[in-house]
Amino acid sequence: MPEVFNSGKANLESEEIKKLLGEKPSGSAFSSCVMRPHKVRFESQQDDETVLVLGRKHFVTNFGWIAMVCFAVVVPFVWGEFPFLQALDGNTLVSVTILWYLALLFFGLQSFLMWFYNVYIITNERLIDVDFVGLLSKTVNVAQINNVEDVNYTQKGILASFFNFGDVIVQTASEQRTPDTAGEGSAFTFGSISCPDKVVQVINQLTEEVDKTWK
Amino acid sequence: MEIVPGLTISLSMIVSFMVKISMVLFLLLSLIMIRQGTLMNRVVNIPIGKSLKLLIWGYFLFSLLMTVIVLLA
Repeated sequence: MPEVFNSGKANLESEEIKKLLGEKPSGSAFSSCVMRPHKVRFESQQDDETVLVLGRKHFVTNFGWIAMVCFAVVVPFVWGEFPFLQALDGNTLVSVTILWYLALLFFGLQSFLMWFYNVYIITNERLIDVDFVGLLSKTVNVAQINNVEDVNYTQKGILASFFNFGDVIVQTASEQRTPDTAGEGSAFTFGSISCPDKVVQVINQLTEEVDKTWK
Repeated sequence: MEIVPGLTISLSMIVSFMVKISMVLFLLLSLIMIRQGTLMNRVVNIPIGKSLKLLIWGYFLFSLLMTVIVLLA
C-alpha cells in the first residue's frame, strides 16, 4: 500500500513520548495515573490502538465519603441516645441496625465504583473520557488527537497543590454536543486528576506529532 | 393505637414495616449495581474488574440473606 494511505496512522511512539511515559507500565490498577497500563482495553478500541495513559480522580478526592462512612459506622453504637429509637422493641432495633449497615455498604461500594470506573484514557490516536453518573447513566466522549486544539490545566486549593492534582481541560476543533453531565467547562474535562502537568505534556506531544505527520 | 378493633398498631410495627420495604428496595438496587458493574467493566476492561464483580455479587448475596432473615423474623 502506498505510504500516503498510512500517513494518518503513523507510529506515534516517538522518543519524547517514551521519555514521558517510560518504557514499562507504571502504577497498580488502583493508581490515579497509570502509564502504559497492562491488559487494559476499552469498548471501541481498535486493533492498532495502544493505551498510553489510564487515569482517574486522585485518591484524595475519596476522603469525603470515606470520612462519612467511618463516622456512620459508629452511629449505631449510640442508638440509645435517640429518644425515637428508645421506643422501639429489640427486634425492630436489630432490623434498623442491619438496614443501616446495608445502606452504608451500598453507599461505600457505589462511591468506590464511581471513582474506579470514571476514567480518562489517552491512546496513540484518541482521547476518551468515560463519565458514569449514578447507577443508570454514562457519557463516553471520544476525540481524535488531531482534533485537539488547546490543552489547559488548573490546580485550585491547598489539597490540589499539596497532592498535585487538578483539572485538565481539552478543547477540540469540533463543537461538542454531548450533554455535559457534570457541568464541566468542556466535554473533555479530566477532573481532579493526578499529575495534570504530565498529562498535558503527553497530549501536547501527541498533538505535535500528529500535526507533523499531516504536514 | 387501635384503629381496627382488636389490632393494635405500635410504633415498632410501623418502623419494622418500613425497614422491610427499604431492605427489599436495597436488594433491587444491588441487582441494578450488578448490572451496572458488568456494563462498566465492558466499557473499560480492567484486569481487576472480575474481582470487583465478585465483590458486588457478594454484596447482593449478603443483602439477600439479610433481607430474608429480616422478612421472616
